[in-house]
Amino acid sequence: MTDVLRIENLSAGYGPLGVLHSVNLRVQAGERVGIIGLNGHGKSTLMKAVAGLTGWQSGSIKLNGTEIGGTRSQGPGRYTHKIVRMGLALMPQGDALFHGLTVADHLDSGAYTRRAWRERKARREYVLGIFPPLEKLLAQPVGKLSGGERRMVSLARGLMGDAKLLLIDEPSLGLAPKISKGVIEALMQIDIRDGAMVIAEQNLSLLEGKVSRLIGLHAGKLKGGSVAPDVPLIESVHHHEPAPRH
Amino acid sequence: MDPYYLVLTTITLAAIYGLLALGISIIWSSLGMINLAQGFTFSVAGYGAWLVAQNISANGFAVVAGGVITGALAGALIGGIAFIPLYDKPNFPLRSLVATLGISLFGGQCLLWIFGPRVKALPKIFGVGNVHFGPAVASYDKLGSIVCSVVLLIVTLAWMKTSRRGLEIRAMMQNPEGAALVGVGLRSTAMSVMMVTGAMAGLASVLLSQNYFIRPDAGVTPLVKGMVVALAGGLGSVAGALIAAVLIGFIEAVTAVTLGGQYVLITQFLFIILVLLVRPRGIAGMIEHTRE
Repeated sequence: MTDVLRIENLSAGYGPLGVLHSVNLRVQAGERVGIIGLNGHGKSTLMKAVAGLTGWQSGSIKLNGTEIGGTRSQGPGRYTHKIVRMGLALMPQGDALFHGLTVADHLDSGAYTRRAWRERKARREYVLGIFPPLEKLLAQPVGKLSGGERRMVSLARGLMGDAKLLLIDEPSLGLAPKISKGVIEALMQIDIRDGAMVIAEQNLSLLEGKVSRLIGLHAGKLKGGSVAPDVPLIESVHHHEPAPRH
Repeated sequence: MDPYYLVLTTITLAAIYGLLALGISIIWSSLGMINLAQGFTFSVAGYGAWLVAQNISANGFAVVAGGVITGALAGALIGGIAFIPLYDKPNFPLRSLVATLGISLFGGQCLLWIFGPRVKALPKIFGVGNVHFGPAVASYDKLGSIVCSVVLLIVTLAWMKTSRRGLEIRAMMQNPEGAALVGVGLRSTAMSVMMVTGAMAGLASVLLSQNYFIRPDAGVTPLVKGMVVALAGGLGSVAGALIAAVLIGFIEAVTAVTLGGQYVLITQFLFIILVLLVRPRGIAGMIEHTRE
């Protein structure tokens, strides 16, 4: 099995602030990995670093074997579009939607890569099958939708492309418990084929038993979980408290 | 006061200012840059059209194409100097403002140096004559200007609404980070925005030069008016820019007829001050969600 994502010795942060400290992580094709951690412990920074959106970073990040990391001290977002075209879809916290554009525009924009653009009608059908409530909202501007609907638009947009690696940052954030369960269910339905999915969450119970692996992220370091599928031990080098449980 | 003349002048001015204001507005919302060099693009495009008329052909299409292409190239030049090297540096809005101001001043002096202070005139590309609609009389100039600008506006807006490139520009206008996350390259999109808006300024330049001369500083007044229209409409809003263009054009026409042309800037600025007092985000600033 190939590694869809292979992170070695990644440190990242913003300005003088270091958030991640020497993180190692491997995610193989077909895996769904949950990263559990509290606010401010680096979940979003980990995902942003993979997308090249942090202020600075160092260490190696390989997406399907191609190096996308390296040392960088400025220019956040400068290479993000290239990484996305290589097969990354990041559904960020706060969704990064286009408030004046309609749901249909969002789905089209998700199919922005040339191949996906040609197939965008078929892909739209597939994505609407996963998120049926969006069908009726296609002509609505996203600024008028509810939080749960926006989350669906953000996830649907991410699924329109050719992404091999789906990074989903706190899908339950700000949603009512029932709706967040629905969103997680929809994520589990997605056929990831030879790709992989990484979900960051604060709420352990939402992911428990549904993903291939759970890893804790505490103070910028991965703890209490196996950082690669063939390393089954619970890795806890320092004696920190385990990942928080809600 | 002849009401038909007033309406026709309003529409002509609105169409031309709309071209400039829409450019300024789109650049602001997609690139986050206030382009003070839009007036420079305007002047350069005038000289481009003049060179074509002198050296290649005085045919109307050739002159318009000369202005539009020169405008697009000037837009690309401004993008290459003021956006590409600066956009991911801290304090970009201020830096790019100063950079575009610099290009505008430097470019104006270059034009003076190359072409000299004597004004140039473009050939009358629409011919000389009048069309009568019942009691109303319209000169070829005005009709041609209206038709050309409206066609370019419609084509540009339809292109932005339906094409893949247009979607990437609209996405970038709403949320640059979200646009990067769907794979839109900010630099290449920025260059296409600069070229499209430069082409709009180029057309506006050729059209306005039917009634005014081409000078090295010809772009200053149109820049100020385009900026006024863009601000009054709500920076970043396409609908707002168009509404404001009609209002500003109307004010200019009414002032010129009643008080005299020298008071136009005064009434226009009074109007924009009033608009911004009542609606600080412009006429459409609350209808559409745009960059803050």
